This record gives sequence, structure tokens and C-alpha cells, in this order.
Amino acid sequence: MLSIRNLTAAINGNDVLKGIDLEIKAGEVHAIMGPNGSGKSTLGKVIAGHPAYQVTGGEVIFEGKNLLELAPDERARAGVFLGFQLPIEVPGVSNASFLRLAYNKKAEAEGRDELDPLEFDDFIQEKIKGVKMNASFLDRSLNEGFSGGEKKRNEILQLSVLEPKLAILDELDSGLDIDALRILGEAVNRQLRPDRALLMITHFPRLLETVQPDKIHVLAGGRLIREGGKELALELEERGYDWLLQDTGRA
Amino acid sequence: MTALTGCSPMPELLDAPRPAGWESLRQAAERALEAQRFPTLKDEAWKYTDLKTLRETTFTPVPSASVDIREHILPEAKGTRLVFVNGRFDAHSSNVSALPAGVRLLNLASASEAAKELGALATPEASDVFANLNTARFLDGAYLFVPKGVRVESPVHVLFLGSAQQDKTTACALSRLLVVLEKGAEAHLVEEHAGHGAFLNNAVAEIHVHEGASLGHERIQRQPVESFHIGSLHARIERNARYASRTVTLGAGISRQSPSVVLADEGAELNLDGLALLNGSQIADTHSFIDHTKPNGVSRQLHKTIADDRSRAIFNGKIFVRPGAQATDAQQQSRNLLLSEQAQVDTKPELEIFADDVKCAHGATVGQLDPEELFYLQSRGLNLTDAQNLLTYGFAADLIDRIPVPSLKRQLQQAVLDRTHSAGAGAKA
Repeated sequence: MLSIRNLTAAINGNDVLKGIDLEIKAGEVHAIMGPNGSGKSTLGKVIAGHPAYQVTGGEVIFEGKNLLELAPDERARAGVFLGFQLPIEVPGVSNASFLRLAYNKKAEAEGRDELDPLEFDDFIQEKIKGVKMNASFLDRSLNEGFSGGEKKRNEILQLSVLEPKLAILDELDSGLDIDALRILGEAVNRQLRPDRALLMITHFPRLLETVQPDKIHVLAGGRLIREGGKELALELEERGYDWLLQDTGRA
Repeated sequence: MTALTGCSPMPELLDAPRPAGWESLRQAAERALEAQRFPTLKDEAWKYTDLKTLRETTFTPVPSASVDIREHILPEAKGTRLVFVNGRFDAHSSNVSALPAGVRLLNLASASEAAKELGALATPEASDVFANLNTARFLDGAYLFVPKGVRVESPVHVLFLGSAQQDKTTACALSRLLVVLEKGAEAHLVEEHAGHGAFLNNAVAEIHVHEGASLGHERIQRQPVESFHIGSLHARIERNARYASRTVTLGAGISRQSPSVVLADEGAELNLDGLALLNGSQIADTHSFIDHTKPNGVSRQLHKTIADDRSRAIFNGKIFVRPGAQATDAQQQSRNLLLSEQAQVDTKPELEIFADDVKCAHGATVGQLDPEELFYLQSRGLNLTDAQNLLTYGFAADLIDRIPVPSLKRQLQQAVLDRTHSAGAGAKA
């Protein structure tokens, strides 16, 4: 589904990604872990097309399309979704009307019927149950004044509305308490299908107890330095990242 | 003063009998006018707004005109509506059938009891040339009086319409509004300025909110782009009273808003918000003055502008905290969005504080849309133009969404939507 080959990227002239190779197949769940500043969030943003990053080399192929040639919204309509670590607040734009607009843009791109406000209301009422969100959040401005946890809940609501083929979730666990983490983790699990894939970006292994990855990659210094199964998360929990960094340092 | 000479009603109308007390006020205003001159760019208060076009326009006295008010009707104010056309009362279009007992909503010329309050806040000594011209020559206006402890449930709608002359000369409308809320009274007022064709609307509002009373005041200016709007607001808030005013500027080629609010006693509360949405070569100038005179006053001012094309927005907001006004809490924000290279914003928040125990803050931002916000919306599948339009809409709608009159809120949301979705924002990307 997603093939990343020798991807390098920079921001303000500083190299952040220094040659990433990553293969994600349909139906798989991958996790990228690593210390602060290792380039984890950058990788998610580069795949989604954040304009602040310059791709300096390599390629990102998603279902046969060269993602790097597409604008961020074209990537989204092609089926890529980035769940933000820090979702943006947009005053004056109601959450419900934004969700409907985003849903209808995707429906239009896929040649499906758009939903009018009444139809969308039925649709969204089902979806908010899945993330246990209070319906009053639909009438509020998008993310405005939401707590960190509420914003994350809203990201997963968007995920369940847009049903992307590839979801990249950047630090879903930050700002969440244990209960919310479990609820949202289960909501993410319900999105998993044989024709979809998931890439989790996280510091901490706890999320991976609920959403279990097939593969874990460790990113440090802009490179993927280790790959393993879900048992790697336990090892990282016990030993931290230092031993890996020292290993590669010597290599 | 020689400019604006035709800016006056027909002489025979001016000579018509008026309530006692008007004549001395008119004369005081005429005397003040003799010493005042038409402002130019050399005047500090007008240095960003060139009134040359206005100065060179020949105004003609306005005869009566009939207009269609259907597009302006607010269902919530069906029986609480006054309509004025070119400053003259339109009894046919007005409807005051739904007033609570004791509440007065009528035209000033019929309200002799209001004469003593007229010009009490907009005094000739303290008024600029435009307000004095209004005081000297106005024919009629709107009067709202809410007696002690009475709450007016329905919003009150005062509609001032301007209408161009048949002979293509420019009409001059003098709009006048007087509002008095007695102790503990509550009301919500919608003051709307609209019309057709080229005219000058010179508007003066006087608002007196007595102890513990609460007034919400929407001020909607959506005149045609070939018209002018020069408005001043003179408000006084007494002990523990609350006044919340929101000015929305969508229309007029050149417009000026000069709100001046005195927090006259302890615990007075003020919200003075503004939104100007400009395109083409519109100029919208706001000069506000908030005067904290006694302790424990609270003022909040949020002024937003969106300037597209070659338009120009000016904001000058002065907050004055007098020596006795301890524990004043004053906050002022000027936020400006520029949608084109040629659009311009001049913003100047000013604080003058003469008390030592106060909490005051002000800030101003001028900028384009936030790239992080654009990326967030794009990452959800909205193309760049849609994302820009939505953010621009949100910037304006944030203020409009707080209007508690649903039909007016919907009308303005639609107006903002039409404006932001035809804006050059997308095309310029």
C-alpha cells in the first residue's frame, strides 16, 4: 500500500529525515517509536504533505501514486489521513459543518452521493458513539477550547468519518488518560480492515497494548535503526532507547 | 463650515413644529458648527481616511421616499420595529404592537418626554462636526425607553434606510437614536443601516444604561457601496449596569464609526466588539473611546477586520483609566486579516492609565491566514481555496455566531459566506 524509499527531508535547511525506507502492506498495523526529536512527527507530516518541509530525495508511493506530487488535500482524498499530535483550533467553524464538508469532499472525489445536513446528522450521531463524545461538541467551533483529550477524541471521530485507507496517528496517546486511551484505541481498532493500514507514531508503548502492531520501527536521528515485532515495545519499555542509540552509534 | 451644505432636510420640514427643548439644542449645535471645519487628512483623528469625495459631493435635501423593507424584516421583532427612510419616520412600515406595558418605542418627534435626554450625551461641546450637523438639523429619530425593572423579551429593531434621489444627486440622511434603560431594565436592540443607491447616512446614537440595567446592541451597517456612513455612538453605563455592543460593517464605500462609552459608576461592564468585512476600495474607519471613571469597571473590546482587494481598515482604540478607577479590568484586541497584497490595515490600540491598581491588556495582529490551519483543513480533503474560504469565514463568523437574534445571525452568516466565498482569497493563492 505504502512504499517509502530512501526518503530525505529538511526544514529550514536542517535535514530531519536522512533516508527512510518503509513498506506497509494493506491490513497491517505499524508503529514508529523513538526518542524526542528523532523525526517521527516529521515523517507523518511529510507523508501528509506539510508545506514547511522540503523533500530532498527519495519517493513515497501510495497505491501506485507518487504522493510527493500531490497537494495535501489530494493525498487526503486519495485515502491518507494524518491524526495530529496537536490538532488546530478553528474558531467560527462548527465542528459538525466541518465534518460534513470534509465527508462530502471525499464522497465527491469517490463518486458517491453527498449527504445533506439532516442525513449527515444521522450519520454523525452513530459515529460519535464510537468515540464516546458528547453531542454538544458537534455544535462547538472546531477544536476551540477543547481539552487535549477532547481534541484527540475529535481526531479519531474525523478518522471514523473519513475512513481512510492509510491512517497515520501522531502521538494519539499524548494528553489522554487511561480510560480515554482505551476508548480511542478500541475505536481505532474498529477501523482496521484487510484493505486498510495504520501507522502509529508514539513515544510510549502503552497505546500498543490496545492497538497491537504487526511491526515496530525505531526512528532515531532521522533514520530507522531497528525493526521488530510487538515484543520490541516491551523491550523499549524496560530498557529505553539509549541502548539502541549506542548500538547504532558504534555501528 | 461650508462643506455638506446641502446636507439638510427641506427647509419647510426643518421649520415644522418640534417638541419643546429641541430648538435650544439645535441652536447650540449650530453655534458649535460655526467654529468647526470639515476634517482633512491633517486632523489626527482623520489622518487615514480621506473625505475628499465626501467634501466634493453636492448633497440635496431629501424629500420623502417609500421603500420596500421586506428583505430587512426580522421575524423575532415583528411587533417591535421602527423604520426611518432618509431620517424621516415611516409609520407605515413600523410596527410597535408587541411592547410590554410601560415600554416606549416611537419616533422622537412624537416623544416630547425624550426632549430633555436628547443631546445630554452627544453634547454640542463634545461632538465632532458630523454629530453636530446631525444635532442641528435632524428631523426625527428613534426613541426606546424601558422603565425600571422591565425586560423586553423580543429584540427591538430600528431600521434606518437611505434612498438615493431620483435626479442622481446625493441624498443626505440624518439618523438619530436615543435609548434609555431605567434601573434593572433589560433589552436587546438591533440598529440597522441599509438602503439603495448613493447617499450619506450621518447617524448619532445616544445610549443611557442606568443602574443594574442590561442592554445588548447590534449595530449592522450594510449600506450600498456607493453610499457613505458616518456614525457616532455616545453611551453611558451606570453602576453595575451592562452594555454589550457589536458593530458589523459590511457596506458603504467610506464608513466611520466613532463609539464613545463612559463607564460612569462602579461595577459597570462593557463589551464593545466590531467586525468590518471589506473589499473593492472600501474604507472602514473605527475610532473608539472607552472611559473608565470609577472602580471595578470591566471592558472587553474585540475588533476584527478582513480586508480584501484594495480596501482599507483603520482602527484606533483608546482606553482611558481615570485616577479613581481602581481595579479596572480592560482588555482590547485588534485582529486583522489581509486577503490581498493591496489591502491595508492601520491599527493603533492606545491605553492611558492614571490609576495604579488595574488589569489592562491590549494587542494587535495583522496577518494572512495561518499556514498550520490551512494544512490542517487540507489534510482533511479540502482544497486550498476551500480551506482559505472556510478560515476567512470562521474569522468573521466567530463574532457573528454570538448574535442572539437567530434570523439576523443567519442573514449575516449568509452575507459573510457570500463575501468570503467570492473573495480573491482562493484566486490569489
